[in-house]
Amino acid sequence: MSVELSKGLRANSSIVWSELVKNMKFLTAYPTVFVFWTIFPIFWFIPFLLQGQAFVGGLQSPEFAKLAGTPNFVAFIILGAILNSYVLTSLYGVGESMRREAYRGTLDYLLSSPCNKAFILIGKALSESSSSTMYAMTQLVVCIIFFGIEITLGVIMPVLLIIILLILGLYGMALMLAAISLQSKQAHDLAHTLENVFYVFSPVSYPVEALPSWGQIISSILPLTYALIAVRSLMLLRYDIAAVYYEILLLFIIDMVAIFLGFYLFNWMEKRTKKSGSISHY
Amino acid sequence: MTKEDREKQGLKPVSCPVGFSWANLRAELRAIWESNVKVWKIELAYPISFLRECIQPLVMLLPFLLYGLVLIGGRYSEALQGLLETASPVDVVTYIFTGYMVMGFIGTAIWAMGFSIRREQWFGTLESIYVTPTSRLSLVLGVALHSTLHQCISVSIEFLVIYAVFGLGLKIQGILPALTIFALMMFALYGFGVLISALALFLKEGWIVAEGLYSILMILSPGAYPLAVLPNVVRQVSGVFPTGPAMIGMRSLLMDGYPPQAIGTIFLHLLALDAAWILFGILVYYLVDIYIRRRGSLGKY
Repeated sequence: MSVELSKGLRANSSIVWSELVKNMKFLTAYPTVFVFWTIFPIFWFIPFLLQGQAFVGGLQSPEFAKLAGTPNFVAFIILGAILNSYVLTSLYGVGESMRREAYRGTLDYLLSSPCNKAFILIGKALSESSSSTMYAMTQLVVCIIFFGIEITLGVIMPVLLIIILLILGLYGMALMLAAISLQSKQAHDLAHTLENVFYVFSPVSYPVEALPSWGQIISSILPLTYALIAVRSLMLLRYDIAAVYYEILLLFIIDMVAIFLGFYLFNWMEKRTKKSGSISHY
Repeated sequence: MTKEDREKQGLKPVSCPVGFSWANLRAELRAIWESNVKVWKIELAYPISFLRECIQPLVMLLPFLLYGLVLIGGRYSEALQGLLETASPVDVVTYIFTGYMVMGFIGTAIWAMGFSIRREQWFGTLESIYVTPTSRLSLVLGVALHSTLHQCISVSIEFLVIYAVFGLGLKIQGILPALTIFALMMFALYGFGVLISALALFLKEGWIVAEGLYSILMILSPGAYPLAVLPNVVRQVSGVFPTGPAMIGMRSLLMDGYPPQAIGTIFLHLLALDAAWILFGILVYYLVDIYIRRRGSLGKY
């Protein structure tokens, strides 16, 4: 009977909502953690700004503009760092939240509950992305105040759309990692390796053109590459959304592939671990 | 337990060396070595993780190099030449590499040493270690030794890759004196690491403080830029930490064309920092140690 109930939209929405509420409760219980994740990522890109100032003797670099399209390396770095902050939380967040359930001893109950497991994952993914967005927005406000980043109201909606598409693609990859963590129990090495790949091969701190040709090929399959190009085109170069439709389309295609593969792999791995009886091992 | 009880159970009396004696020093050195071996064993049990951690510093360095090259459209910066007052434009690849090879050792002090005691708490072995007749600092120093060796492997990988891909203009004759400066910097960082391990023991959620200090130290150390770009107050604060003078001294000895510094002053500066950080770190550690044992919160986390 309850299985039938869980199939209803209301019941599934309740699962997602409960996950969101649970995450918010954890977040408000540790305000220092919230302040930390809001403030300290700014400290991580300050060395790049100081390096830029030392190397070019100012805050504009004509040489940088030849590849990046803008001489304003400060805004380039800040936008790259803020969008990049979604990578670790998205890749690691869902997989790690499943591990946290195992630590707390609640994973067995969660997975044996008569609900669609996909909605638990959706709830976890939404919780992680909502906290990441809160951190990112606060960082952006700090950067607007202290680093003179300009933002026009017209770009907010297209940028939000791009961020949502980026998060979807990252969650597709995160689902794959969550699936692997069910089997191998330790997916953090894989998550950190993937994070490093994003950090080096996506245009976080330099344009893709700075990479060798093989590096540019790797870059072309990462969702962060297209998200960064599109967001910088809209916010820094003041292009119209029509000018970035190609990046948005590619981002959408990557999302579809990653999400499909992610769900398929997670369901397959869940069945496998249930059969082996190793779900709550850690 | 009486002597008769011990004889019944077949236990042999063990005399532990104490105080300032050669025997005690040897015993503590043995404890440091065993602690180092233990961490190596744990680390090598996860080879993929070990490999990833070995190349991590290179991954962190590459964006600074590529970004620097894109900024100036080549590898020589005239603006940096003005700041450093060198005779010719500065090779940014060598400049960034010599800075960032040192940066990884900040992690030794903060993460490896700082969380060595905390990690024993996680493993549930802290109380057992605390009742052994050895100094707690030997455990921390054992982890420091492991982390320093591990970081040396990472720096070697960094050097080989950067040298092969970009090339480096280093003065071979400067390596030995640069290593002396490096050793002096490490002593001060060890003192700093002892302080962090005390904080980690005391604060429980010490990772926030550690990460905060790490981020601040990364800004205060002239890894990819000279201290001249920092505001004057921040520059003064930078002098309290050993990475700033060490990087300046090492660059002066290793980099072609880098303006010669008063190496004697750098040595004295680092010696003063060594004494200050080691004494301060040990003092805080012992105070925290007494406090948490009195509170009975040693095993809590």
